[in-house]
Amino acid sequence: MGGWKRYGMRLLAHVPMAGLGGLFVFPFYWLFISAFKDRDQIFKLPPEFLPDPWILENFARVFRETHVIGAFVNSVVIAGGHVAFALFLCSLAGYAFAKFPRAPGRDKLFAFVLATMMIPGAVLLIPVFAVLCKLHAVNTYWAMIVPGAASAFGIFWMRQYASENVHNDLLDAARIDGCSEFQIYWRVVVPILKPALAALGIVLVIGIWNNLMWAFIVLRTESMYTLPLVIYLLQGEQRIPFELIMAGSVVATLPLLVAFLAFQKNFIEGITAGSIKG
Amino acid sequence: MGRGLCWRVWAHRHFYVFISPFFLLFAVFGLYPLLFSFYLSFTQWDGLTEMTWVGLGNFRNLVHDELFLASLWNTLVIGVLYIPPMFLGAFVFALALNTGWLKLRGIFRAAFFMPCVTPMVVVAIVFSLIYSEDSGLLNYALGKVGEIFPPLRIEPIAWLTSDRWFKPAVALLLVWRWTGYNMVLMLAGLQGISTEYYEAARIDGAGVFQRMWHITLPLMRPVFVFCAIMSLIGTVYMFDEIFVMTQGGLGGPGVSGINFGLYLFNTSFADFKFGYASSMAYTLSFFVFLASLLILRLRKSET
Repeated sequence: MGGWKRYGMRLLAHVPMAGLGGLFVFPFYWLFISAFKDRDQIFKLPPEFLPDPWILENFARVFRETHVIGAFVNSVVIAGGHVAFALFLCSLAGYAFAKFPRAPGRDKLFAFVLATMMIPGAVLLIPVFAVLCKLHAVNTYWAMIVPGAASAFGIFWMRQYASENVHNDLLDAARIDGCSEFQIYWRVVVPILKPALAALGIVLVIGIWNNLMWAFIVLRTESMYTLPLVIYLLQGEQRIPFELIMAGSVVATLPLLVAFLAFQKNFIEGITAGSIKG
Repeated sequence: MGRGLCWRVWAHRHFYVFISPFFLLFAVFGLYPLLFSFYLSFTQWDGLTEMTWVGLGNFRNLVHDELFLASLWNTLVIGVLYIPPMFLGAFVFALALNTGWLKLRGIFRAAFFMPCVTPMVVVAIVFSLIYSEDSGLLNYALGKVGEIFPPLRIEPIAWLTSDRWFKPAVALLLVWRWTGYNMVLMLAGLQGISTEYYEAARIDGAGVFQRMWHITLPLMRPVFVFCAIMSLIGTVYMFDEIFVMTQGGLGGPGVSGINFGLYLFNTSFADFKFGYASSMAYTLSFFVFLASLLILRLRKSET
């Protein structure tokens, strides 16, 4: 008896879901079409839901008149460097914590690593900046790449994955074959850890690519700016060039957005695997 | 076999070599800064001139610092405004995505999660455009609603420049930005609940609400606790959103928009009061730590 009624209810439930889904996507739609409007069109009333006309030269202008191209390169170098460095460090330590159970002090050292997760980032801002000044690393890529790379959370995650998926007989076989310990890590362990490395890498990329505050603190000259910083600073110009800001924003948003839409499953697995276990 | 500690350490030297990069980096970028900033919190220092020891002076000043207190209040209000609707929305979406009958689940999930991979600076700028008083889309839409239903007619709202509306505007942005993240975590939690529980309950004749109350909610508790702690930390140290929407100013109209994260940043890197900022960061971190412990206790208590 309730079959049709239930079916109808379920069908009906799609309507609010679609409406809310539309609301969530709307700012993206607004961002992308605004990138094809000139400044007056952006503020026109009633608003143009499709640009009329489509202004294509915003992108040519944003590449020509602002530092977006250089910033794109900086962002890629910083994100690539940070992620590669952090993945190397976390997988090496995570593997060691998982697979050297008889090393003296292992459990205490691991407890220490976990305890570092409780340190709030807010108290570190000033002293880390001071350390970077001492090392003459302010306004270099290093200032963005290195400080956040020692991620206890990443080590925890890699240890978890390594202890479940790296089998001891494989390591022993490699040892008998005469591999050095580092070769074992690099040739045997890293390939096994790949799925976990990809997931952790995704989490790290989202954080570093979108980072504004630390970039604002440590990057000082235009040639070093990252995309979020360039976009933020365009707001400071007189007669704010909103059409360029929108075009630049598209450039900054698209890489991760496209990657997310293409590898949705991996992104979601990365976010959840890391959080639920941690 | 009586081999000494030294021998065992040497036998496992690779272990220590492999974990040493973390400890080296932590010493330079974690431990030393932690201690240094603790020391700093008892001093006055601008980074250039001599440090002066002021004892508990910084902490005493904090209590009378109206801007500091205002920033805490604003942080609290923004949190109260956005966290409950975000939690509710995330949970409802997660429940919907967890059912077998909802079509296009992949598309919905992508739609709700997309904001989480977007640079905050972009989000804040796009929302600023939508919130614009004279030519923003939101006021335009509200105006249209007023034309159709005259009782709902209102004056254009100054979302970003009035005391009253700045915080709700920020809260709306935060709901948009973070619902998908929490939804994904809750969905993973729901998928982790064994279907056996539900089947057993159904055999016992439990209805939808009973199953929700006695199975889903208790088993989701660890996920809720995790989400709550992440939201707490995210709210207290939130920076980009406010910084961009007020264009690096004091935080919105007057002081009604400045939050803790922005005040800490301004004190540190605009006013260069390194000592005072450190005392501020330590004080608040202490309370966030306490609050996190309180929330964690919820995880253990029985239902």
